[in-house]
Amino acid sequence: MTRHYEVFARINQGDETLHIGNVQADSDRLAKLYAHNTFDEEDWDFLAVVRREDVLEVDVDQEVLSPA
Amino acid sequence: MSEWPDPALDYVQAITDTKLVLGHRYAQWSLTGPSLEDDIGGASAAQEEVGHVRQLFRLLEDQGRDSDWLDGHRDPEEVNNVASLDSIDGEWPEYLATIATADRAAWYLLDAIDHEDFGGMVTKMGEDEYFHLEYHDARLESLAEKETEVIQSTLEETLPQALAFIGPAEHDAESDPLYGAGFTDRPVAEIRESYLRHFEDLFEGTSVSLENVDRSAPDLEAWNETRRRVNGGSIPEADLVQIRGDSNELYVMD
Repeated sequence: MTRHYEVFARINQGDETLHIGNVQADSDRLAKLYAHNTFDEEDWDFLAVVRREDVLEVDVDQEVLSPA
Repeated sequence: MSEWPDPALDYVQAITDTKLVLGHRYAQWSLTGPSLEDDIGGASAAQEEVGHVRQLFRLLEDQGRDSDWLDGHRDPEEVNNVASLDSIDGEWPEYLATIATADRAAWYLLDAIDHEDFGGMVTKMGEDEYFHLEYHDARLESLAEKETEVIQSTLEETLPQALAFIGPAEHDAESDPLYGAGFTDRPVAEIRESYLRHFEDLFEGTSVSLENVDRSAPDLEAWNETRRRVNGGSIPEADLVQIRGDSNELYVMD
């Protein structure tokens, strides 16, 4: 089954880890290889893929609930 | 630089020629992949294989090989690549199952070299090869379910050719000349076992069966030590013309 993966990386240890793109792949193993080959413009200290469905969005605009 | 034992020159030449043809095949197929990510992987591997060839040519020149001959000014029958790379018929799954077996065979022979001329260079090449081979395996795993018959029938053809390239099973610790001379750190028989075990493990639990793969290849009597194959054959002359870059000779920088 083909899944979407988000790709994250940082150049130096201590840098912020940034979202740099995404790949589609049939397996986690293949997704890591695609990310390595596709985003090779830097000598990354850290490169990771996360299944898109595992990225849990935090709702930052939640309004304060009023007491009922 | 130091002198190599006699059969080592043919051994390294065959590894180098396999990388030369591999680079060409990767490049030919790199825009035909099922996804842009596959194309990028193929193009990247092509570039790295040609880089390895460039370094290996220098070592071969140091051992007396002519640079023009190395560059492709020779007969196709003098190019000693893994036989399965002579031509790749079919579609992308056939291509993948062909280059995966050839690239791994060449890497196992290179990795077995235990000689001062190769130390750091092979370590660096190994870093590139890790990603080539890991990519092939990840791709073969997914194709094993989607294209079972094609992958299985291609492996039945390409694995014996890769085994012929690695060398005959009879070349064990007692009889392998390069192991005996200390040029390699493991005999051919051991490399064959590791190589076959890898593919058996990879396809274990998948629909692809390796039951009909001829694991005894090559027949020692029929094996050509220089070409590391049986039954002759070669890349087409047209491929050698492209590898030499004949049509671009005008732009060569002296």
